[in-house]
Amino acid sequence: MSISKFTDKLFSRATLRGIFAIGIFMVFWEVGARSEEWFGYRFPFIGLVPPPTDVFVSWSGLIADPSYWQSWYMSFLRVFGGFLAAMVVGIPLGLFMAINKSFYGMAFPSFEVLRPIPPLAWVPASIIFWPTQELSIAFVTFLGAFYTIVINVLGGAKSINKQFLQAAQSMGASQWDMFRRIVLPATLPSIVVGSAVGMGITWEVVVAAEMISGGGSSGGGAGGGLGFFIWSSYVGGSYEQIIVGMISIGIAGYISSELLRQLGGLLTPWLKTR
Amino acid sequence: MSAVIEENVGSLADVTSGAINIKDVVKIYDPDGAAVMAVDHCSIDIPAGEICMIVGPSGCGKTTLLNAIAGFHDITSGSIHLDGELLCGPGKPQAKPGSDRIVVFQNGALFPWKTNLDNIAFGPMMVGNQSKAEIYDKARSMMADAGLSGTENNFPGEVSSGLRRRVEIVRALMNDPKVLLFDEPYRALDSLTKSVMHEALLEIYYRNKVTIFFITHDLEEAIFLGHRLIIMSSRPCKPKKIMEVDIPHPRDYSVLTSPRFRELMNEAKDVVHEEAQKAFDAGEKEG
Amino acid sequence: MDQLVDLLKSAMPFRMVPDNLIRDIAGICTQHSFAAGENIYNLGDTADDVYIVSSGSVQHILGVDSGTSQHEKTMRSGDIFGWAAVLEGQNTRLAATSSKEPTEVIRINGKELTRLFKTDPAVGDVVMTRFATMINKEFYVPRTISDQVPGFKQALVAKSLQGSEVTTMALTVYRISTWLKSPRPYLMLIGFAFVLGFWYLSVEVWKLPRFVDMPGPTEVFTEWFSEDPYYGLSIYTPEYYKHIGISLQRIAFAFFLATGLGVPLGLFLGWSKSFREFIFPLFEVLRPIPVLAWVPLAIIIFSGSETPVIFLTFLASFFATTLNTMLGVESIDESYSRAAYCLGASRWQTFIHVVIPGAMPYIFTGLQISIGVAWFSLVAGEMVSGQYGLGYLINTAYMMIEYPKIIIGMITLGVVGYTTSAMVRMMGDYLMQWRVRELALGDN
Repeated sequence: MSISKFTDKLFSRATLRGIFAIGIFMVFWEVGARSEEWFGYRFPFIGLVPPPTDVFVSWSGLIADPSYWQSWYMSFLRVFGGFLAAMVVGIPLGLFMAINKSFYGMAFPSFEVLRPIPPLAWVPASIIFWPTQELSIAFVTFLGAFYTIVINVLGGAKSINKQFLQAAQSMGASQWDMFRRIVLPATLPSIVVGSAVGMGITWEVVVAAEMISGGGSSGGGAGGGLGFFIWSSYVGGSYEQIIVGMISIGIAGYISSELLRQLGGLLTPWLKTR
Repeated sequence: MSAVIEENVGSLADVTSGAINIKDVVKIYDPDGAAVMAVDHCSIDIPAGEICMIVGPSGCGKTTLLNAIAGFHDITSGSIHLDGELLCGPGKPQAKPGSDRIVVFQNGALFPWKTNLDNIAFGPMMVGNQSKAEIYDKARSMMADAGLSGTENNFPGEVSSGLRRRVEIVRALMNDPKVLLFDEPYRALDSLTKSVMHEALLEIYYRNKVTIFFITHDLEEAIFLGHRLIIMSSRPCKPKKIMEVDIPHPRDYSVLTSPRFRELMNEAKDVVHEEAQKAFDAGEKEG
Repeated sequence: MDQLVDLLKSAMPFRMVPDNLIRDIAGICTQHSFAAGENIYNLGDTADDVYIVSSGSVQHILGVDSGTSQHEKTMRSGDIFGWAAVLEGQNTRLAATSSKEPTEVIRINGKELTRLFKTDPAVGDVVMTRFATMINKEFYVPRTISDQVPGFKQALVAKSLQGSEVTTMALTVYRISTWLKSPRPYLMLIGFAFVLGFWYLSVEVWKLPRFVDMPGPTEVFTEWFSEDPYYGLSIYTPEYYKHIGISLQRIAFAFFLATGLGVPLGLFLGWSKSFREFIFPLFEVLRPIPVLAWVPLAIIIFSGSETPVIFLTFLASFFATTLNTMLGVESIDESYSRAAYCLGASRWQTFIHVVIPGAMPYIFTGLQISIGVAWFSLVAGEMVSGQYGLGYLINTAYMMIEYPKIIIGMITLGVVGYTTSAMVRMMGDYLMQWRVRELALGDN
């Protein structure tokens, strides 16, 4: 896109409208949060929230603080660690289930029975089982992404046009060839989409796990992470930091999803031409 | 099909409305960017009640013309009039969709969540000028005329695609349109069903004379159905050859093997093939 | 044989039948000869065969009541008569026929022909329609007669649906019976056996180091189903149901609130470009924040321990529902709303009659996701704050070192979660009968 096109898009009616709505939202927030200060009457709900200006001040302070960035680092580590583990186990499992009907018949029902159990319900069992707290968080994180990835791989494999496979067979492809050159690339788009969704779930689980175990009765533990940051801010009474933490996680989540999308785009260039 | 059909049923003398005048229409997509000219100074005059077949290779801009008449797209310049009234033109680049020009879509647009009868009654019910009883009575009788009795309470997804097409046409006719716009409606049907659909369409036409603007790439379909063929050049779209089809109405399947039919096919074939070759070479994506 | 095939093909109704079927028809044909002036059949005779003239000529006199005068017609090579044999509800001849000169005919048994067409209903449909057309065009018969030509696909479809409604129940029963006949249920049991077996073996038999503190299946199941459980929780204790009930209550409240707000919001976001340009960015800024990150803020804002939990559940559900509804509206084929405009509907009418029903399938998929997400948040919320509920149960069981209760809680969660999701799906099937029927009939 040329420069003029870019600025056109930036200041297009759509973007301006979006910014306008967010602006109004911020104004309401500020006014509501400062209602007690300014009007002597505290608005319900919104009156208890720290105002955006305070949050901003707090944030500028935190940017210089290394432990803030340490939290980022810890959370990212956990998220990508758990996510990678889920991919390493989930993608082959999903593909194998897609190819082998008997295995699917055996494994899928058990998979489906376990799936409705929310990952967080596994936390106590996980703590009992794994020796360290870090591993127990990692396991729960893994579970969160695992289900989504497997479901998406299966969905993608199922929707492969049978005629692709038939065409390959008639051209003399071996089983391995067909897998490598048709099944795998054809499932890639679903894997990419599944990853984006799975990433969201992973963040949820990590944050929750960090809050529960870090802030729970188990004390220090592995420590750190943005979830723990939020919880300790709450316990410590610095409410502005809570919101800083919330927004930080939001941004972090968005960045990881974008990264995945770009990566996915590189792996599946043919989708761009649609 | 009733055995009693008037003589001279192909005459257009008794049709008073539905004349379309397309004058010098130009449509350029993305004028500041890629500037793709889809329609190039196209002028066509369609008299009221005529079945006008627009033939051309895929992607040559025929649908753009149809969309302009229907009011789904705007035009860059030129004008389109219906019975003398301006549909779109200088100062009014896009027509407003209305029930005087109803489209029958390529993949069918019957509402899957309504029964066939509800679909057919939809137009008049929305407009709200008549009572529900009146509307549904008329709907039922029109369905009977088209041989659709018995399927009133089925959903479109439950019946064959041929039947769906007929329901869609009846749905359009309920609003007494002046023009019916067909956008390759039989493209997705197998040739067996197609032949039956053609006869059914003519049958319906003989009962309700409307102007028909029919886009197709199937020459046989075009000559069988139409009063006139307009063969379009490949993108940009412009009338290349106009042919009168002087086979008398009412027509039936036996027309397909008549010598006159063969003659017309030969005449049209070369022109169409030339344009199809051009479109193929240009690697056009189907419209 | 080839001559027979050619003759068949020259008869109007059979003209477009594919070759393999024509050969089958030729196979059931029989040939007959008649001398000049010989009677072929009379009015009122049993109508069993359809006739096609091979050579010669046949005099055909229609003698149908109800006002039409007798009509005489001469049939020649390639002409079909005796079509009463394919009319539903017509067992007797409608005409008298005799040969005018030495004539050869082929006869096709009506019932056999019908049977053949059942193997390819699409073709049968076309042939029968052509029969009807031919009868109407070439013979002067009242409409009531030609209406008796059975249409195959329509008849098959209409018969199966008139009167008997394809309900979800009928569909389920059908699906279950097919399922039982396949290897699937047995594979499923093998899979379960594996999982349970592994659990059992690793905890109770091999006593693997990692699994030392884990409760084994025997412990869990005896506890769960005992009348006097050691830790006080089993299917016989009212407390068990209290936890389930409270969780369900919270889910129901949050879910319905989220649906009530999220669906309309999603619909408008999808439908109105202006509205979307204003509101969607704001929505997308708030959505990435994990719902659980709202916990401390929720505790601050809302007093009590109940409201924050419900708020969190609501929030998760709300985002999922709104987004999926919006995507649903965007996925509706443009042709539907265009068709509505053509037919005279206003923007608002199109919204009600096209957008809302059209988005329903997507909305319900979204609702299933939404309820899954709701459970996710609810459990987290219950673990952190709140009294009672399945999440609370699991957490306290952990704290009090009553480990079997953890597993009981987890399994219960799975079952209840699955049931609520299935209920949403069934509600969707109920509201979208058209979809159920469409899918039931396979591809058309």
